[in-house]
Amino acid sequence: MIRSLPALALALSLAVPSQADARALVLAIGGEPDGGFDPIMGWGHYGSPLFQSTLLRYDAKLELIGDLATNWELSEDRLVWRLSLRDDAVFSDGRPLTAEDVVFTYNTARTAGGLADLRVLREARAIDATTVELALTEPRITFAARLATLGIVPAGSYGAEYARHPVGSGPFRMVEWREGEQLVVEPNPHWHGGEIAFERVSFVFGSEEAGQALARTGAADLVAVPPSMADRAPPGMEDLHVDSVDNRGLAFPMLPSTGRTTDAGAAIGNDVTADRAIRVAVNQALDRDALVALALDGHGRPAMGPADGLPWDNPEAAIPGNDPAAAMDTLDAAGWTDEDGDGIREKDGLRAAFQLLYPASDSTRQALALGASEQLRGIGIDARPTGGSWDEIGALMHSQVVVLGWGAHDPSEIYFLHHGNYSGVDYYNTGHYANPAVDAHLEAAEAASGVDASLARWKAAAWDGETGFGPRGDAAWAWMVNLEHSYWVSECLDLGALQVHPHGHGFPITHDLASWRWTCE
Amino acid sequence: MTGWLVPLLAGRLVRLAWLLPVAAVGLFALISLAPIDPVQAYVGGRTSQIGPEQRAAIAAVWGLDLPAPERFASWLGQLLRGDLGQSISYNAPVAQVIAARLPASLALIGTAFVASFVLGALLGLVAGATRGQWPDRLIRTVAVVLAASPGFWVAILLVSVFAVGLGWLPSCCAMPPGRLASEVTLAERWHHMVLPVVTLSVVGIAPLVLHTRQSLIAFLDSPAAGHLAAHGASPLRLAFGPGLRHAVGVALTLHLAGAGELFGGSVLAEAVFAWPGLGQATVRAATGADEPLLMGIGLATLIFVFAGNLLADIAARLADPRLRGQA
Repeated sequence: MIRSLPALALALSLAVPSQADARALVLAIGGEPDGGFDPIMGWGHYGSPLFQSTLLRYDAKLELIGDLATNWELSEDRLVWRLSLRDDAVFSDGRPLTAEDVVFTYNTARTAGGLADLRVLREARAIDATTVELALTEPRITFAARLATLGIVPAGSYGAEYARHPVGSGPFRMVEWREGEQLVVEPNPHWHGGEIAFERVSFVFGSEEAGQALARTGAADLVAVPPSMADRAPPGMEDLHVDSVDNRGLAFPMLPSTGRTTDAGAAIGNDVTADRAIRVAVNQALDRDALVALALDGHGRPAMGPADGLPWDNPEAAIPGNDPAAAMDTLDAAGWTDEDGDGIREKDGLRAAFQLLYPASDSTRQALALGASEQLRGIGIDARPTGGSWDEIGALMHSQVVVLGWGAHDPSEIYFLHHGNYSGVDYYNTGHYANPAVDAHLEAAEAASGVDASLARWKAAAWDGETGFGPRGDAAWAWMVNLEHSYWVSECLDLGALQVHPHGHGFPITHDLASWRWTCE
Repeated sequence: MTGWLVPLLAGRLVRLAWLLPVAAVGLFALISLAPIDPVQAYVGGRTSQIGPEQRAAIAAVWGLDLPAPERFASWLGQLLRGDLGQSISYNAPVAQVIAARLPASLALIGTAFVASFVLGALLGLVAGATRGQWPDRLIRTVAVVLAASPGFWVAILLVSVFAVGLGWLPSCCAMPPGRLASEVTLAERWHHMVLPVVTLSVVGIAPLVLHTRQSLIAFLDSPAAGHLAAHGASPLRLAFGPGLRHAVGVALTLHLAGAGELFGGSVLAEAVFAWPGLGQATVRAATGADEPLLMGIGLATLIFVFAGNLLADIAARLADPRLRGQA
């Protein structure tokens, strides 16, 4: 009898048919949060927070609209956000969401030491059941981005198990999460946002190749693919290219070399790139369309600034590229000439030469460095591409030019990259750029009376008519390209209007997942 | 019968008692010397959203701002209370992370272990019995080619032939996508296991085949085998009869002692096939400089390999009584 048990199990397992009848939406776009779905620890940064809802949210044009909040205003002294909450929001366990839950979420996240940065929050407090106040330690308009990313958790049941068994007032509720493998969610019947077109949504994790294999067998409806596969969608699927601000640019050391070093001993400054003429000439010389073709297989667009196409971008700050003649005029006028006839310019015995650092593991940045180097040689600048580990780059990035990438849906990035206080801090302002006028604009932007009012200040920091961090001003960077994020998407799936993607390919596309629709029967 | 077992076990326990602390200190030293900043690894692509003050707060909450000796002392203190610590990468207790992934890895490793032993010993016996003839030459060629093939390459080859080319077997995951675990049949689970198990077992099979073949040949050349052959026993009959015990004892020792390599190979197989086991967690822990998790996985592996070796010694002594006098 015992011996026949395995055989019996085998027979049964072969005989029981699968019970799945409704076809699930299957996405292979990565984005699995190893740490689980706890907003307090940082879940819900880009893309749909799935299980939770936020006070505000960004629409497809990156403008703030209400979600849990029906009304929001910033006090005269710019220190207190006062928000009114909708009264029909309900957690997926059926309990109503009140101001107490919002207060709990914000106060807990402030000190949790996770990936939600709320250091500027002094205190969250409930005024009544549907009104909350968030008091800040100093005026900080970019705090609005937190209102749109921090999902609200239930004060009553939040605990150590929350990350793996989330309960929220968002569009979906968790059915099953097999870590490293698959997440299955279904619509939350208590959601306040309307109907969802799918009975179930599965997120398949694992390698890129596995996702592509699923698409070829028709098992996946949306797959994130690398540029090399971007135009090769299998039958039944279409190629989708989404513009992004996932950008790559050259960060210049701004100070002359005086023997100063960072606390870690890395040299600061470079006499060649400290000359504005060199930085402007690089901006004028770069043929960004050629770089897009070379490094991105054509799947990208030229980058003129750190936030192309976002509301706080200032196109006025850019200068035309692909103009070697103008670049050479700039260099001639500044006294950089090729006296010894080796093809590289000199000035007062100093060769126009620097290293172009890139992480050796990143083939896109490598191609960009090689391409830019080739183009700069044409105007007499010797930019030597140098691959290395991030460690090696960290030791050289304050004295040599480095290929860096940014692109957040949050203007505080503009602040970090260009404010003098962030000189040499982490990877932010590697060039030790400091311009008091720019710093003042950046501070004024943070202290603005509202998000809309701050936009003009962010733009002024890039170029205010006289100075700025953009190429027309100090040319602290030479931006090169914005990546395109490529997907294969089922011909039967309508994704609606899509945002310009941030730095990060894959999960951010789910931002409006709840409004996607099937278009076939 | 058990006269040899007790001294063997006692000796091994003493060895484990000094091996564990030495391994723990060495492993921790290696991890803390790795040129990875755990806070930067944790922040990852969100650099622009996490200001310097929040980074300091993260380091403080997870104890990453303490010097390495203090971190080790606090880890050791927790360990003595039976707590393996908290994994920053997974935001969960290390014991929970390991417990959630160990079954999938053990299923893979266990099946591959048995499959490669049966297949390897069988091929080795056939090769030995047909020494110099075409089955022997074929098996030896295959074994040498396999011994020279990197595991990841074999995996990619298998995927491109059987999953992409022929479409017979799934290329990824432990279950079909889009379905709940409760909706997946046992047959489908086995179906998904085929390629990972084949990859994992094929890679370690070559030494087993060659050693089994060699020890069988040694037996076949012995006077005892010559005597049996003179009475009419064919080589195949000798191989699967009296030769079996000679050859399989050696094969078993070799195979159990190599269990550690199987563990290492599973990291790779899990990465290629998106298998939700400990391998993925190991990679994640290493790239994130997640000290408690790496220590937990490292020590679990050590005990696993140690137990494998101990079982190997016991099995070898059961199979071959001549070894029982040795410690």
